[in-house]
Amino acid sequence: MPVSNAMQQPPKPHWFRVIIIGRRPRLTLVRIVVLVAVCILLRQFVLLPIRVQGISMQPTYHTGQINCVNRLAYLRHEPQRGDVVSVRLAGDSIMLMKRIIGLPGESVAFHDGKTYINGKLLDEPYLKKPCDWEAGPFVCATNEYYVVGDNRSMPFGLHTQGRATRDRIVGKVLL
Amino acid sequence: MKIVIRLFLLAAMVALGWWLWTVFFPSPERVVLKRMQSLAQLLTFKADISNISRASRASEFIGYFSVDTEIVVDVPELGAHTFSGRDEVREAGNGGFMSAPGLSVSFLDTTVRIGPDRQTAEVSCTLKASVGNDKDFGVQELHFKWKKIEGTWQITRAETVKTLR
Repeated sequence: MPVSNAMQQPPKPHWFRVIIIGRRPRLTLVRIVVLVAVCILLRQFVLLPIRVQGISMQPTYHTGQINCVNRLAYLRHEPQRGDVVSVRLAGDSIMLMKRIIGLPGESVAFHDGKTYINGKLLDEPYLKKPCDWEAGPFVCATNEYYVVGDNRSMPFGLHTQGRATRDRIVGKVLL
Repeated sequence: MKIVIRLFLLAAMVALGWWLWTVFFPSPERVVLKRMQSLAQLLTFKADISNISRASRASEFIGYFSVDTEIVVDVPELGAHTFSGRDEVREAGNGGFMSAPGLSVSFLDTTVRIGPDRQTAEVSCTLKASVGNDKDFGVQELHFKWKKIEGTWQITRAETVKTLR
């Protein structure tokens, strides 16, 4: 007995094809395009993935750790003291990861390994290693932040630190 | 349909023509970028290369600099040094190539700004370098001034930039 076309069931796709591209390939393609676009936009404008290299932020961060920089962190407010931020060099392929200890207009000094802001002792619970730095005072200009690593057991001269202009601060380290 | 195909072919021809034009007549930005890339390749060598090869590289290295070039280095690890003129750069280059146990150099985030006269260029970049087989690398922000001298782009000034003041 002949069967009309309307009654015919479409052939069932192979199970492997269903796993790989789903039951509705067009919808899968749209999902992939949307996912890729979202990832690119996130990478470009929101979260910048980074891999930590070096010892200057020990023990808070170690070499090889993966993290992200939130580019939008300072959209509504300016960087705060204690924030761990990324500071760009010529671009954002390689950045410095440092902690902000001095805000614009403030004076930063190190005496006997302790940090003084405008002459007042700064409480730094994140410091775990001994420090004997004697330096400063360094006065930040109106658009500058004093940034330094958490590993203050390194000699002062070998530790990359100093005043970074606001435009060099890419964002706040997420985790 | 024929019109669509013809239009497509026309667009492809225009694109190919444009690409060929940029290959045979590259913009000054592109030429300077290529010079930067080739400089990085020249500075990248393994520890086991011969002394002749090292000397050859040192000789080629000098070709990147103008006669009156000036290199200003001011980094915490090395202190402040200025190399003025090709002879001083040659001396430093020879010493570096002969004594370094291999080097890996790349210039990242390179931006080229061509001057209004199209004969000068300013380049900002981040130098990433590692010595020998060391996995750790050093980074330094650099600023170059290039000038087209007798048809060749040469470095008239190179200096380290202090990212943190």
